[in-house]
Amino acid sequence: MPASPEPSPIGDASPPGQGLAIAAESLYLVNLLLLPGLGFLLLLWLYFRHRKDAPPLARVHVWQTVSASLWAGALLVLANLLIVALGGYQAAWTWVVVILYFTTAHTTLVVLGILGLARALAGQPCRYPVIGKLLP
Amino acid sequence: MQLHYQSQAVAKPYFIAAIALFVGQILFGLILGLQYVIGDFLFPAIPFNVARMVHTNLLIVWLLFGFMGAAYYLVPEETETELHSPLLAHLLFWIFLVAGALTVVGYLTVPYATLAEMTGNELLATMGREFLEQPLPTKLGIVVVALAFLYNIGMTILKGRKTAIGMILLMGLVGLAVFFLFAFYNPSNLVRDKYFWWWVVHLWVEGVWELILGAILGFVLLKITGVDREVIEKWLYVIITLTLVSGFIGTGHHYYWIGTPGYWQWWGGIFSALEPLPFFAMTVFCFNMVNRRRRQHPNKAATLWALGTGVMAFLGAGVWGFLHTLAPINYYTHGTQITAAHGHMAFYGAYVMVVLTIISYAMPILRGREANPERAQVLEMWSFWLMTVSMVFITLFLTAAGILQVWLQRIIPNPQPFMQVQNQLTMFYWMRWLAGVVFLIGLTVYIYSFFARDRPQTAEAREGQTATA
Repeated sequence: MPASPEPSPIGDASPPGQGLAIAAESLYLVNLLLLPGLGFLLLLWLYFRHRKDAPPLARVHVWQTVSASLWAGALLVLANLLIVALGGYQAAWTWVVVILYFTTAHTTLVVLGILGLARALAGQPCRYPVIGKLLP
Repeated sequence: MQLHYQSQAVAKPYFIAAIALFVGQILFGLILGLQYVIGDFLFPAIPFNVARMVHTNLLIVWLLFGFMGAAYYLVPEETETELHSPLLAHLLFWIFLVAGALTVVGYLTVPYATLAEMTGNELLATMGREFLEQPLPTKLGIVVVALAFLYNIGMTILKGRKTAIGMILLMGLVGLAVFFLFAFYNPSNLVRDKYFWWWVVHLWVEGVWELILGAILGFVLLKITGVDREVIEKWLYVIITLTLVSGFIGTGHHYYWIGTPGYWQWWGGIFSALEPLPFFAMTVFCFNMVNRRRRQHPNKAATLWALGTGVMAFLGAGVWGFLHTLAPINYYTHGTQITAAHGHMAFYGAYVMVVLTIISYAMPILRGREANPERAQVLEMWSFWLMTVSMVFITLFLTAAGILQVWLQRIIPNPQPFMQVQNQLTMFYWMRWLAGVVFLIGLTVYIYSFFARDRPQTAEAREGQTATA
């Protein structure tokens, strides 16, 4: 779960970089839910375009989502290929493990993205546990 | 702490009855869980079909008690006026409780066919269908209670302030009553019967109940976060729109392979693929509101329940629903333990948790304080984690059982018969039952939390802090 320091009540004005933060979290979720690969490429484009000039809030969210997306690729694609390779394509238990693993891993990543998006919408930083880069 | 409106007090017996029936539901769930692995457990006293009927019917009835209690609590506050008739609310409570209790006693003491004969099923045959097993007098009683309840809530809203939360709740409650009327339509053609049966079952839980869920969640978040009403209302509009757009035509995912036209595979697939969206939005909504909160409400347990509702509804109804909602997948998974996995987590995540959210928020106020003592809240949060984690495991074990069932029964070149496959799922059923026991422990802790008080030294320390402040 993203770190949740005491909330700082926000005013009506958006903090600098909030739009970019929301875009990054949205692209992370798009990559997981709608357009795998394309969402990640757009996120990478966002990262390279703004890596030097992004306000601190946006930088945190962009870094977190890029890092989490790379982890997601490994956890969802590589790990499942490994399970199938080790267990065999024609074994019942392979599919029990693959489907359970994929569903829980994918869902966990999506929920982290939802929490990240909620924090971005509130103009707050966020850190994904384990798979996110540490806050500067 | 005083109630804003004295008539809100009528919610209290509804909440107490809801929790009592919840206990009954879980006990019968455990009996059922054992019957999966010890086939003649409690037979012939409580046959499997009877235990299942009691388990599911109690769930529906206690959730309805919870919704009614929630409405009686939040409507006076939203409308800024006393309830139209607290007396009617009390009367309906006893009618509904006695009718519900008699129905369960009937299920347990009389053979179902005899019960049908005794209760006039030959006059208008409505019994014998899953979830709608209630005898005719009970069904008629539900209609009377629902109409009188709607009259009471409707008149209150009419004379008071109209808010989005109140109107969404009313819309959901009207829908609940209207769609229940299809319980009386029981055509002899089995396809037609199932077609309209889903108008009660699906359009309740994936339609109008979601409106009730949204309204209750919106109300609690409004109170505990202090976020502007306008912000909450905008979120609710988005959630409700997504619900109605996806949920109604999404009924089509129940029409695969039952004899309805093939186009339902497209309509059902496309629209039910959209059904996770309102739950997705609901989760973002809950966390966004808590992140933007303008006050630190002392009721931390209610905040936890509200956040949990968002996440677990998304997982159970959204993700586990999507898992088997597309026609090509459902071709293999239809009616397997994967459906049971989805049903358990969706009902718990969406409706059990939202009722526990409003109870968690309202009960302390109904008992004269803004929030429960710290120790009671800690216990309540323990119960939250025990019940929620055990429900996650129940879902995972049933999912594993379902995948294996699909493989053995429908994928392999020489598919095995149903009971032979069931025999091979025993390990998962045992693990599911153990998770169910942990759930019951969580529920026990939850009930105990209502009676827990701070230890004397904690209470003194808190009083000292208050005095210093």
